[in-house]
Amino acid sequence: MDHLTNTQLISLIVPLAILQAILMITALVVLVKAERTRGPKWLWALIIVFFSLFGSISFFLFGRRLN
Amino acid sequence: MTKWLVLFRKEWLEMVRSHRTLWLPASFILLGASQPVTTFFMPDILANASNLPEGAVLQFPTPEPFEVLASALSQFGVIGLLLVALSSMGILSGERSAGTAAMILVKPVSYASFVTAKWAAAVLLAIVSFAVGYGAAWYYTGALFEPVGWREVGASALLYALWLTLVSTLTLLFSSLLRSAAAAAFSSLAVAVLLSVAAGSLPFEQSWNPGRLSTLAASSLNAAARPLGGGIGSVWLTAAVTAAVIAAALLVAIRSMKRRPSEA
Repeated sequence: MDHLTNTQLISLIVPLAILQAILMITALVVLVKAERTRGPKWLWALIIVFFSLFGSISFFLFGRRLN
Repeated sequence: MTKWLVLFRKEWLEMVRSHRTLWLPASFILLGASQPVTTFFMPDILANASNLPEGAVLQFPTPEPFEVLASALSQFGVIGLLLVALSSMGILSGERSAGTAAMILVKPVSYASFVTAKWAAAVLLAIVSFAVGYGAAWYYTGALFEPVGWREVGASALLYALWLTLVSTLTLLFSSLLRSAAAAAFSSLAVAVLLSVAAGSLPFEQSWNPGRLSTLAASSLNAAARPLGGGIGSVWLTAAVTAAVIAAALLVAIRSMKRRPSEA
């Protein structure tokens, strides 16, 4: 288990954090630009920020009204 | 064929615009990579998070690398399937209720190419997402534990991709039969769960059951467990039955769109 240095561990985990951040930021941008959402926007913003991965996904799935 | 390509490209464009091409692969990568990472840190997590009595000694056997990958597959089997089904649940019923299906189908476009173009785009996205997610799981397993041979990983990826294709086809089928998108996602997941529970619990040989694909994929990671459940011939039989079910589901979906192109 101890064959990795801390730097190596960090370099493995940082890409995941970046990916997660990209997803969250995209969700927030889409949220801000959206004309209408299902439910209040501030609530979706809280969900996206606090439930990171699943918040963004559920916004993409259920948050937008298309038409 | 060019018409089919136009329809396919339209479908892909819609998936890009709705950001499905971003969040589906991203969530598969995060799911796949988080499994080796949490397994790696599990001793630390348990030591810090649980209120163990002072001086308790925890000893964890280091998991075999193929076990880590198999647990990533089981993550895909729960959350991954859910995401795939949810992402394409309105694929036909949505077009029907919005009236766009009728609008496209008055043009000289066959129902078959309309449905299969949608199917191909949805399946392609699901498989690409799974492939990058599984690739991430493979890479992280290799970096944190020991590398797993590409033959085992390739075989398991093919088997699992077939299973994902089946679930995504079932979602399309139910989306053509049912009015509600949520009901379509729920039905396809329910069928998938029933099949795999039947494959795992009924006490007789079920080479024909597509539900055993996910178990086959997980066990094909273990090079020591060859030959796979019932030999290579029975694996081919499972794959053939799955392909036949997929084709039948597509035919039914096409017929259903023909009978009811729009909500009226």
